[in-house]
Amino acid sequence: MTQDFEFLNRLGVINVAGLIKIAKVVKQRFSFSVSIILGILTACLAAPLLAPYDPYKIAAGLPFLGPSRAHLFGTDDLGRDLFSRVLYGGRITLLIAIAATVIALVLGTLWGVMAGIRRGWVDEFLMRTADSTMAIPQILFALVCISAVGASVISLPLVVGFLLSPTTARMARSAVVTELNEDYVVAATASGLTRNRLIMTEVMPNIAPQLLVQLSINAASAVMLEATLSFIGLGIQPPNASWGTLMLQGYAKIWNTSWFVFFPALAVTITILAFNSYGERIRVSLDSRKSSS
Amino acid sequence: MKPADNKLNALSVRNLSVSVPARGGRVLAVDNISFDLPIGKKIGVVGESGSGKSLTALALMRLIKDPVQVDAGEIFMGGKDIMKLSAKEFLPYRGGEIAMIYQDPMSALNPIMRIGEQIIESIRVHSPMSKQAARKIAIDQLGSVGIPEPEKRIDSYPFEMSGGMLQRVVIAIALSGNAKVLIADEATTALDVSTQERVLTLIDKTATERGLSVLLITHDLGVAAQYADEILVMYAGRIVEHGQVQQVFSRSVHPYTRALLDSKCDYTLDVTKPIKSIAGQPPRPDNRPSGCVFAPRCDFAEPACSASIPLLSAHGDAMAACFRADELIFNQEVR
Repeated sequence: MTQDFEFLNRLGVINVAGLIKIAKVVKQRFSFSVSIILGILTACLAAPLLAPYDPYKIAAGLPFLGPSRAHLFGTDDLGRDLFSRVLYGGRITLLIAIAATVIALVLGTLWGVMAGIRRGWVDEFLMRTADSTMAIPQILFALVCISAVGASVISLPLVVGFLLSPTTARMARSAVVTELNEDYVVAATASGLTRNRLIMTEVMPNIAPQLLVQLSINAASAVMLEATLSFIGLGIQPPNASWGTLMLQGYAKIWNTSWFVFFPALAVTITILAFNSYGERIRVSLDSRKSSS
Repeated sequence: MKPADNKLNALSVRNLSVSVPARGGRVLAVDNISFDLPIGKKIGVVGESGSGKSLTALALMRLIKDPVQVDAGEIFMGGKDIMKLSAKEFLPYRGGEIAMIYQDPMSALNPIMRIGEQIIESIRVHSPMSKQAARKIAIDQLGSVGIPEPEKRIDSYPFEMSGGMLQRVVIAIALSGNAKVLIADEATTALDVSTQERVLTLIDKTATERGLSVLLITHDLGVAAQYADEILVMYAGRIVEHGQVQQVFSRSVHPYTRALLDSKCDYTLDVTKPIKSIAGQPPRPDNRPSGCVFAPRCDFAEPACSASIPLLSAHGDAMAACFRADELIFNQEVR
């Protein structure tokens, strides 16, 4: 009798699981956080069209002007238009963040999937390496790397991407290990699939939603790390400006012209919040799937 | 046990032992079992949970993973010991020579892949061909396992189908490599009773049509009686009785088989009759009694039963692992 109920229950679960896995993740595309992310991305990409002034032009207005209709975010110490500078700064910050996120995803996934499928000493070696990498304070590690090779749009994504990859690797490994124990993966093994095909057709598509969560969280961390590095002077160098650099410049004048630091900081905050809440939403939708099964 | 004969038998298992880790070492979950699966026959493997049925099935597919281990044993298929093959050499056997149908079809299919793709994939693993060609075969196969409108259903996702339908898909996948041996591991446990019947009939029909040899693992004695040619009774990792279905159900030799048959409830006879149970619990794998594992629960046990392990041997037309088998058969006949 109980078996019959269990059967019904399971049947229901599979319906829910399948629907959520396919439809719900897609639905997230239209959430509020995604529109924010897309909005910021478009604004920064379209900076040449949107920016009212040349961000590098000195004395576009008087120095230290407060926010007004002519200068939405005010002007800085050299009279440059801050709104234009935040838009252009966003391009650099987001470029670095996106590149770093992609690097972290690719490196971390390879790292974790390798550990998850090989197990044994390979697993042990790869995961202990990940642990030791995570044990080094991120800023300290970045500091050493950047001072060795110099800050540029090449070195920053590489360093930030590498710093984010061990967390991704851990997540990917645990997802792969869980997935390999799923009945349908064992069933696919039993029908003679090679290990590589198994990984490509059964495991990867099923861990993709989890990777998407990690991608989103990584993007937030990457924006944060880039801003932090720039803020302590290890990021993009003037006259180019990222949000971090702008915050560094504004911070010096925080007591007199607070908007100077406020707007770039606001941009960073909103972006990080949007990425995090997007990740959180996917995670929750995945959790409801897991908890019901 | 006779030496393995690959002309008569699709599968021969000799002295297979599978161990699982336990406190202070390893214990045998499958303890030195041997049997033959004749070509074109169906063997029903029955036993309680934990009697080693499923581990035996997994060992045949070489799907035993750490920390569970195959300690010893030979499994002959087509004259070759498949346990001695390298992983790469064994790959074509999976699905190609020996295929498996799973207990729970709802979890045996990839939830985010169309069922068609999953069938096509396993067809192409065993015979390389274009996707279009494989798709045609897949549609045929879906039709042959009784799925209506296969050309439409092939593009369904698993969550769009019922449990019975999914089990048919799983069967289609199992058949896609033209395997000669089919293992059905509790294949209908997750289905409701009327669907069970239909799925089992399908397995039965397909096996007869294709001349497949089937290992029907179940804890439902009725299912085994109806669909199997031979019955293999397992208890605590050992085979306690093996014989033709007629013999096992009407003239069982081993006390455990008898107790198992007695505990079956049959409402057609007398609803008020209490269901007999076997006293005690099956022994935990890490705390097995020495000698005959069934002795502590056996009505006929005597001191000799706990002294040494009875081996599976012929008693009349049956094979049983019991020291008192001949005596019990005699008593039965006298009675």
